[in-house]
Amino acid sequence: MTNDNFKYRFKFTKGEEIKFIGHLDFMVAFQRAIKRADIPIAYSNGFNPHQLLNFASPLSLGYTSIGDYGDLQLQNWLSADEIKTRLNENMPIGVKILEVAELSKNAKKVMTSLCAASYEVKFEEAVTPKIIEENIDKFMLQDEIIVLKKTKRNLKDTDIKPDILEIENASDKAGKIKAKVNAGSVKNLKPESVAEAFMKYVGLEFNKNKNRYTRLDMYMSDQNGGLVGLIDGVEKI
Amino acid sequence: MYKAIPDEILLDSEKPARYIGNEINVVKKDSEKVDIRFAFCFPDVYEVGMSHLGLQILYYFLNRREDTYCERCFAPWIDMEEKMRQNNIPLFALESQQPIKNFDFVGFTLQYELCYTNVINMLDLAGIPIYRKDRTEDDPIIICGGSCAYNPEPIADFVDMFYLGEGEVLYDKILDIYKQYKKEGRSKQEFLERMLDFDGLYMPQFYDVTYKENGQIDAITPNNPKARKVITKVIVKDLDKVFYPEKQLVPLIEVVHDRVTVELFRGCIRGCRFCQAGFVYRPVREKRFETLLKQAESLVKSSGHDEISLISLATSDYTCFHELASGLLDEFKNKEISISLPSLRVDSFSLDLMQKIQEVRKSSLTFAAEAGTQRLRDVINKNITEDDILNGCKLAFEGGWLKVKMYFMLGLPTETDEDLIGIAQLCDKIVEKFFEIPKEDRPRPITVNASASCFVPKPFTPFQWDAQDTYEDFSRKGQLVKNNIKRKQVRFTYHNTMMSSLEGVMARGDRRISAAIYRAWQLGCKYDGWTDLFDYSKWQKAFNDTGIDMSFYANRLRSYDEVLPWDHISVGVSKKFLIEEREKAMRAEVTPNCRQKCSNCGAKRFGGGVCFDER
Ligand code: SF4
Repeated sequence: MTNDNFKYRFKFTKGEEIKFIGHLDFMVAFQRAIKRADIPIAYSNGFNPHQLLNFASPLSLGYTSIGDYGDLQLQNWLSADEIKTRLNENMPIGVKILEVAELSKNAKKVMTSLCAASYEVKFEEAVTPKIIEENIDKFMLQDEIIVLKKTKRNLKDTDIKPDILEIENASDKAGKIKAKVNAGSVKNLKPESVAEAFMKYVGLEFNKNKNRYTRLDMYMSDQNGGLVGLIDGVEKI
Repeated sequence: MYKAIPDEILLDSEKPARYIGNEINVVKKDSEKVDIRFAFCFPDVYEVGMSHLGLQILYYFLNRREDTYCERCFAPWIDMEEKMRQNNIPLFALESQQPIKNFDFVGFTLQYELCYTNVINMLDLAGIPIYRKDRTEDDPIIICGGSCAYNPEPIADFVDMFYLGEGEVLYDKILDIYKQYKKEGRSKQEFLERMLDFDGLYMPQFYDVTYKENGQIDAITPNNPKARKVITKVIVKDLDKVFYPEKQLVPLIEVVHDRVTVELFRGCIRGCRFCQAGFVYRPVREKRFETLLKQAESLVKSSGHDEISLISLATSDYTCFHELASGLLDEFKNKEISISLPSLRVDSFSLDLMQKIQEVRKSSLTFAAEAGTQRLRDVINKNITEDDILNGCKLAFEGGWLKVKMYFMLGLPTETDEDLIGIAQLCDKIVEKFFEIPKEDRPRPITVNASASCFVPKPFTPFQWDAQDTYEDFSRKGQLVKNNIKRKQVRFTYHNTMMSSLEGVMARGDRRISAAIYRAWQLGCKYDGWTDLFDYSKWQKAFNDTGIDMSFYANRLRSYDEVLPWDHISVGVSKKFLIEEREKAMRAEVTPNCRQKCSNCGAKRFGGGVCFDER
């Protein structure tokens, strides 16, 4: 019975070693880790029972992350620390569980809570720190930021500016930006689109395989309309 | 993490995960701190190779040695190969991502004949000269094993040594000596000569082959005093005592078989006359029930898989098969783990077991009938009757199964059109069995998926002397079966006929055909086992260019006294026995299986297994 299950949220990283594993394969790998860890995961009812395990949002193939989230439900209680230890002993190379928190019964699901995510884009060499420094503010001062976005049926010019919440120059030796963007089921913006728009703005050709992307964190809204991390903001026990 | 292939190229490839490694239970060692580096190469794509049990066993077997680092290497898929060549990235091993050219051993497992161009292609991609004669002291030792190694001749010019038999027996000795020789600074040649001391290892350079004017082999003669006249395979006597990994590599992407594999026994008691595996792996050696339960438990625990596959040549021939299957089912039922039985014989089928399996998961059932008439089934010694087949299917339908797969073969020795029409009739009868069930008990329609492969005569079988059909024959026969099926519930397909023809040449080829294999590779052949990549016209050109007649190898009936290309190899089964079996086949006489009666095939010499059971 779902109501008797114990709910937990976890935060994890996905490193270089595992970034080429797509979302569906990653889920299977995670499910197997749970089995190996002998964690008393709860299953859905029905003909093909599946583990009650959900991720906030898929991470694109090739992206790394230092702030991804998921929820899981257990049949029997385990302490958050115990779950963290057992999972970490069984995770694929490149995945680390940073934090586990036990949730109150009426906590909202991680997918529905998610409303924003922050990313770092490390650009290909042509986009130098200097270019970023000189252009990033002007870029955001545009009335609209138009990119060609794929919809279900065709390509469409879309203004992504409303979905960019924050953007900053994060360059070291390499040209980098950090951006906080809308995420989730209602509005969702991929950092690739931001990178593409920026490169277009500075007159460079965008190649989707040349930049590197890292998800930094994922957020929900707090009572005051601000953003807070998916564990920090959730109702815990 | 160091990657042999830059991210940009990986992102542009079909499945980058094929080239990364880092799977669950992967072995990582410091490559600087080991004495021996061994590249275990599987000459096919990652997803196929990772589903191979032999790889899983040898990987951990070799890596249990502290001094040895065994890493895996698969054939890159077409898209990646192109990019590797463009960017001068040599073939590398997954674990360390380092080029295999610098390894001590490069080992290939040969599971099917149509992988030979991939072997060549992988050597080339690695920057290792393809022909043995062109390699130097700096190149790795190329070693090949697997079922195709029993006729090593087609690729003998490319390979330094063939390992005939089960890897657990000799590898420790081979590696110990290699390590010692390497320390002493001895040459590769000295090492290979030292290997002549062992039975089970074949170094082609120590044997010369001469030919008669009619193209047949005159003699295969050792040219080194230490080289034995006949090399006999080596096998494990007691499977309960031999190493079996407690873990299994668990890939991070979907592969052909995502499951735990438990090997019940090696060998097969049956002796179906077309089946090479049934002869080359003799005798049957079983693992004890307790051993298997223990292995299943630890593998499930360490993998997180949700399926256990009980594999062997004929799973249900395991002596305590029902106890084992029920035992496993009970043990794992509450853990959402299912059991799969890939090779059931239709006659031993039990409704009880079937229903138990079905409780956990329902899949389609596969039955190998092989031939359409009793006469032909007797010729091939497939000891099942039409009643066995029909009853088995009926049980399956009553148990609620909606899909039955049937396997047949086209072109078996002595086959007539009547036998082929028999395939169609048998399939129709299976459907009729379904309609015998009262209407209220069959709410949904069924399908019978019948598929036919084309018979390829294989070395070390009673049909090793027989002529194979041409691909034109196969096509006609396939159509004949198709045209005679009346029931719409039956779907009939047959295997690529040209592929089977080529397989026929390779399977019984001698040293001379290596030139054609090399030429085919030059013409761009690779992944020949993949229907959409297979290009028969290129192969025809390769054989034409090298002046080799394919039909000499495939479509010719040999006499018993002809010297066969593999006559210097023994799998333990005597030629005398194979001749007797062929004669019996011609008379449609069956031979009892090893448990009913020992037929003195010769495999008793290995000193273990079913040969010593009380009957
Ligand atoms: S010697 Fe007898 S029992 Fe042993 S494999 Fe041969 S036929 Fe079977």
